[in-house]
Amino acid sequence: MTAEKIRIMVVDDHPMWRDGVRADLEASGRVEVVAEAADGGDAIERAREAMPELVLMDLNLPTVPGVEAIRRIVEESPHIKVLVLSASAEEPDVLEAVKVGASGYLLKSATAAELVDAVARVRDGEPTFSPSLAALVLGEFRRMSGSAEPGLTARETEVLRLVAKGYTYKEIADQLFLSVKTVQNHVQNILTKLQLSRRYELMRYAIRRGLDRS
Amino acid sequence: MLSLGILAFRWVSLAWMAVLLALTAGELRRPVLAVATIAGLVAWTTWLTVARPDPSRPTGASRAPSAGSEPDPLPAGPSWGSPDPSWPVLTVDLALAAGLNLVAGLVMPAGSVGQRPYFAAAYPVAAAVTWGAARGVGGGVAAGLALGVSLAAGQLANGIDLAGEPPAVLLDLAGGTLNFALAGGAVGLVARLLERSADQLREATEETIRARERAARLAERESLARQIHDSVLQALALVHKRGRELAAGGPVPPAEVAGLAEMAAGQERALRSLILRDPDQDGTPAGAASLRAALEELAAAEGSLPVTVGATGALWLPAGHVEELVAAARQALDNVVEHAGASRVALFAEEDGDAVVLTVRDDGRGFTYDERRLLAEGKIGLAKSVKGRVEQLGGSMAVTSRPGAGTEVELRVPREKPA
Repeated sequence: MTAEKIRIMVVDDHPMWRDGVRADLEASGRVEVVAEAADGGDAIERAREAMPELVLMDLNLPTVPGVEAIRRIVEESPHIKVLVLSASAEEPDVLEAVKVGASGYLLKSATAAELVDAVARVRDGEPTFSPSLAALVLGEFRRMSGSAEPGLTARETEVLRLVAKGYTYKEIADQLFLSVKTVQNHVQNILTKLQLSRRYELMRYAIRRGLDRS
Repeated sequence: MLSLGILAFRWVSLAWMAVLLALTAGELRRPVLAVATIAGLVAWTTWLTVARPDPSRPTGASRAPSAGSEPDPLPAGPSWGSPDPSWPVLTVDLALAAGLNLVAGLVMPAGSVGQRPYFAAAYPVAAAVTWGAARGVGGGVAAGLALGVSLAAGQLANGIDLAGEPPAVLLDLAGGTLNFALAGGAVGLVARLLERSADQLREATEETIRARERAARLAERESLARQIHDSVLQALALVHKRGRELAAGGPVPPAEVAGLAEMAAGQERALRSLILRDPDQDGTPAGAASLRAALEELAAAEGSLPVTVGATGALWLPAGHVEELVAAARQALDNVVEHAGASRVALFAEEDGDAVVLTVRDDGRGFTYDERRLLAEGKIGLAKSVKGRVEQLGGSMAVTSRPGAGTEVELRVPREKPA
């Protein structure tokens, strides 16, 4: 039995890096790289043509910035999942990328096994939160608290803090006496709320601009 | 300065009125009214002197005149160190000055206004001038014109038939009115000019301070950049040299390759965090350091274990606090490396109300934390020194650990905003 391979597009402006990632992914036998792009504008176009299931991309891109490319790709083809592969654990852009629709985020220093695992999980609709991203998201919700946005439940905050402290979903499930599936659901809800908060932000911004002009 | 000048003017005018009163008391029609008027003006001027601040006084005391009254309807006005007289004060002052003109007509011998020394002396001018200072040219001229009207009323009260008198009296009246209006308008003009140059001076000063702070931040960033560039260059040279040697043949020791990779990763993180540090970022006060940036440096320097860093923000704290917290975290980290048998460590920093909480968490073998036993066994590293550092910052340490379930060391310190 041959499981359907995950169709992926790799976006990075360094050819050597693209080659390395392609080799790692294809060596697993679970992934097929159907397209590559070297910049943001390219990525938008090729995603349209190749219709990959998943886009693996850096944020630091020429022509169109990574965050903008993600926004356009997800807007045009909402079924395409995006996994950010970033060199830094701390780019403020990462938070933006997740808000505009990236499902997960991985450091470039991740091993090939971690990469393939993350790709498979994102394809299956599981967000992959690194500890640093979880911390950023937690900070973002704390800053928003008190405003009209949907806040996090106590349980969601708890889960997020544990992710930020480096616990795996399994460890969190054990500690909170939940199933791993429930933990994943919490993480998915957090992500949805974060993306929703961006829409509120945009709406508020639009209203403010509109009022200023009148 | 201006308000002080006006106050001096008031007192000199009052003194002259008192002299006139003493010299001409016998001739006055209503000596009691005259004395009462002067006494009232002395009281008013005293109140102005005491309550109106002089510019060198702290501003805290300066709001006294408007205490109990409504907030100033026109908060923006000239400021040369003292606040604007509020509308009630201005109105009372103008009413008193106008009343003084009227009283002068009532107390001076009939028909003598314009021919004898004027009972009110120059005191009413002070009202026009105050209006000019507080409300600009328009305010000064308007107050001057109002005083002109009261001057006419005073002449009527003095028994002068304005309609029937020769033009000289009317001209005199017009001249008096003009003097009031001119004095008010001129002071208004000066006040506005003073205000503008004070604003310019303040702006220039602020600009200088901003430029200096920016220069300091840039200098700090540069020295940081130099350090990091040094270490990056060293790491690159080593990777370069060892990479060639390893490629040249022979068995490749995995531990060494892993060590090289970890070193490169550490430098990569340090460099990345430097690039991300924006010297123009808001809220980067001098003397402050970002706890997140410091933790990233700590993680980058750790060679033997993967260390993740999570923080809810940059977490700007006084630089000394960041140093102490990172030193405590470093000790906790060393402890993990030596004893825990962990495969990874997470550093997590968050704001929790008025506290900053730093968690060092490993997935190692864990233990039963018993501070007294550790002390007894001489394993004081964590129990004493980490705790001591945190307690010096007014904070506390909590250790959560179970055999087989890793360890969490939580350091909680009160959050102090950078000075």
